[in-house]
Amino acid sequence: MNKNTKGRNAAGMTRRTVLSGAAAVGLSGLARAQQPAEVKVGLIVPLSGIYTRPGQVMKMGAEMGIDHINKQGGIKALGGARMKLVVIDCGDTTEKAKNAAQRMVAQETDLVAATGAYLSSFTLAVTEVTERAELPVLTLSYSDLLTERGFKYIFQTAAPASRQSELGLPTLMKLAESASGKRPKTVAMLMDNTATSIATAKALKEKLFAQEGLQLVVEEVWTPPLSDATPLIQKVRSARPDLLLFMPNAVSDAKLGLEKINEFGLGQGKIPTVSFSITIAEPDMLQSVSTEAVQGIMTIVANWGSKGQEELIAELKAKYKEPWATQNVVSTYGDMWLMKEALEKAGKADRQAVAQAFRTMDAGPSKYFPGGQLKFDEKGRRVGAGVVIVQWQNGVPVTVYPPELAQATPFWPKKS
Amino acid sequence: MPHLRSLLPAIVFTIAYAVVSIGVTNSYYQLVLTLVPVWAVFGLSWNLLSGYTGLISFGHAAFFGIGAYTTALGQIYFGLSPWLLIPVAAMLGGIAGLLIGFPTFRLQGHYFALAMLAYPLAILYVFEWLGFQEVTLPMKRDAPIAFMQFGDPRVYTLVALAIMLATIVLTRMIEQSRFGMALLAIKQNEAAAEAAGINTLAWKLRAITLSGAIAAAIGAFYAQVLLVVTPQSVFGMLVSAQALTVAMFGGVGTVWGPVIGSVILIPLAEILHAEAGDRFPGIQGVIFGFAIICVILVAPEGLFWKLRDLLRKRFARSTPQTTAAPDVTQPVAATVTPLTVARKRAATSEVVLEVRNLSRSFGGLKAVQDVNFKLHQNEILGIIGPNGAGKTTLFNLLNGFLRPDQGEVLIGGRDMSGQRPHTICEAGIGRTFQVMRPFLRMSILDNVVVGAYVRAKDEDEARKLAADAIARVGLSDVADRVAGELSTKELRLMELARALAGQPRILLLDETLAGLGHGEADEVVAVIQQLARDGITIAIIEHTMQAMVRLVDRFVVLDHGAVITEGEPEAVTRDNRVIEAYLGKKWVAHAAH
Repeated sequence: MNKNTKGRNAAGMTRRTVLSGAAAVGLSGLARAQQPAEVKVGLIVPLSGIYTRPGQVMKMGAEMGIDHINKQGGIKALGGARMKLVVIDCGDTTEKAKNAAQRMVAQETDLVAATGAYLSSFTLAVTEVTERAELPVLTLSYSDLLTERGFKYIFQTAAPASRQSELGLPTLMKLAESASGKRPKTVAMLMDNTATSIATAKALKEKLFAQEGLQLVVEEVWTPPLSDATPLIQKVRSARPDLLLFMPNAVSDAKLGLEKINEFGLGQGKIPTVSFSITIAEPDMLQSVSTEAVQGIMTIVANWGSKGQEELIAELKAKYKEPWATQNVVSTYGDMWLMKEALEKAGKADRQAVAQAFRTMDAGPSKYFPGGQLKFDEKGRRVGAGVVIVQWQNGVPVTVYPPELAQATPFWPKKS
Repeated sequence: MPHLRSLLPAIVFTIAYAVVSIGVTNSYYQLVLTLVPVWAVFGLSWNLLSGYTGLISFGHAAFFGIGAYTTALGQIYFGLSPWLLIPVAAMLGGIAGLLIGFPTFRLQGHYFALAMLAYPLAILYVFEWLGFQEVTLPMKRDAPIAFMQFGDPRVYTLVALAIMLATIVLTRMIEQSRFGMALLAIKQNEAAAEAAGINTLAWKLRAITLSGAIAAAIGAFYAQVLLVVTPQSVFGMLVSAQALTVAMFGGVGTVWGPVIGSVILIPLAEILHAEAGDRFPGIQGVIFGFAIICVILVAPEGLFWKLRDLLRKRFARSTPQTTAAPDVTQPVAATVTPLTVARKRAATSEVVLEVRNLSRSFGGLKAVQDVNFKLHQNEILGIIGPNGAGKTTLFNLLNGFLRPDQGEVLIGGRDMSGQRPHTICEAGIGRTFQVMRPFLRMSILDNVVVGAYVRAKDEDEARKLAADAIARVGLSDVADRVAGELSTKELRLMELARALAGQPRILLLDETLAGLGHGEADEVVAVIQQLARDGITIAIIEHTMQAMVRLVDRFVVLDHGAVITEGEPEAVTRDNRVIEAYLGKKWVAHAAH
């Protein structure tokens, strides 16, 4: 049916294309003169070295965020300007992170905001640079130190480490009480000596255990990598605590510990096990341990894929083949929307204005961060930032608390 | 103080670098420009210990980290300025060097390297345990200059350059002094250095103290640049490796090596991160490692030496040198025979060294048992015996390498057994070695100077003594050539000169004639005879008897660690026990009587 029209069309097309092309060039030139057609934001994460995997996952979150923002019309206050992601590899050492940050501020002078840098040590180094360059940085790292330096250009979306255990433990105790009918009385704590674990443990020991009436019966610290978990788990078995806090920050350590817990017959709820980082709920875990071994294990984290984010999680599964959404995806995705929010408020693509917008922002409840609002206090901490409790259920870590975000109801492993 | 001329390249380089960096306004490039001298200085500090002494340290991060934490914690807890804390860090680094060096220098070779590896890793855990996982330097908005927090990043580069220039000058001063010579001597052969009168432990301790101080100072400055200190970033394996990488890439044992290595590698790594890393994350490490492997394969001793060798070769080709060596030794060789007159007299003069009931066992093996002999003034004593007879062990007992289990070694009537080799050297005993280990890249004069320090009060005197010693062995014409170009004979003579430079009264020569052709052996023999005529007492070990018969006044024959006979050459060579020891029982019957 096209045979007749084809020849005519071809000739007509040429003329029309040229015309419309010229018009487009003219128009976009005009637009550029008024407002930038593109607003650049940075993602500075580890994409090489041993922290590559979380860096990649953060990149997925950022890419989806940018995509969704642009599809719904870009930054309206800037005439529909599109957001563009500039990805920078911060490597696997503090020095590389600092150098990468310096490169980011020196080379990408038109960035209006950035997010990063996974490990809190890297974020510390990166923000030393961005603070001096006056570039606002959002971060999902939760070391307290990040927002204790009096910096004006850092915005922490997660609850700081000390706060996480404060928020998480009482909830956990309530959960235990309602599900099993009695409050745990004794607790064992096995932790590595990374900065996050130390900060969490400090809050637990100095305040929370006493407050919750918990008696610490076993405390063991290891330096990653853990070579043999036998002595640790042996102590737990002989003490038989009501609750085990197992706090690894490397998948390999988590695997060793959990295997040993099961080998000693303490797994699957014989001793309810709780962690304080996303490590134990990373997709990598399933490559090393069976779904039975992790069943029922809970972890208290700053963010997780939850109710109301079904579309995002479905897209993540389809596009990137990720089995579920971890903190890294959700927080970085949320950061893009936060940046959009700030740009709308600032009304111009300027880092100072964006930073000011973050400081004065009050955008109500947050869709992609648990608890609180889209508002930052004078330290740069998100006001009312909460935690979520995630539980392994049938091979998937699902959000079980708070109820408004829960994808499933929690169960308290029964002591046999 | 080193000559200004030798420092000129360093000064010119520093000024040129400063000019270039002042022109750079991009803060990222400026950061890279700051890191180059930082890692160069760290490489130089490593080089000061490992490059010159040859004792490889895998643990320089220990000092670096101590420095970094000094500035960080000093600012956080005491509010001190880094201008003050950097010298404090240097002091602490020096103390750490001393504390680490003292036990660790008992180990040698790979064991030393591995032990050094342990220190930073152990300290890393201590700092983690203390709760210093992440430390950030407080931002001083009100007094940035006093707290070294410059708004203009170029100032960091200038400060780093100043530290680098100071380190280069210091290294040059050490290189050209007795200190540097002692370290090089330790590198070529620690035993030989000790035998040449160098207190090796003392010099090594000085080197590690200084090296630790420099590493800590630059670590302290580095913390100021990085602003965040974590145990991994200052005590980690990668930090120690960085010092090795820049120094080995650029050239070990030279002040330019770490500088060249740093100037090439640090920007290269950054460019790879910036250009390749953003497109193919991770590729930067592969390319970087590959580049280093290639260079090390092509230039195993580092770029500096490779380039120098190439330049030398080109220079040598354009001006062909006439090798003028033989005519020096000829006149000496002509005077072989007249010494026979002096022989008889020597054995009757005053005793300068006496060995009484000397024994030493290694487990069940009695290497030396109950040996007695006397060495007379101006005598040439030959100590002979088949392989494994205990000759070298005997020498090692005489010059202090080994402690005797029992017995005495009387030097000038005083019992010196069990003293350290450098003390015995000071008492007037020089020694050469069976296996030569000259420093191949140094000139003959420099090789010999090492032996002169035991007597010389200053550098000039040492040079003069060395020149004299070289003249006595007939090597004056080739004194400026590097040892690597010499023949075996010339190396033997050079070793002899080194022993002579310390003006010994007694020379212990360990198989000085080994590996020499017939004609060459004669030349060396002539030199030894001349020394005897000049009044030096000589004990010489040899297992080939031929050359010895003409050389010595008297023989002591060892077998299975014991003296089987002693006496004049004619008598000894006819002794059945000697023939048996050398050739076995059945040859005794065949021997002519």
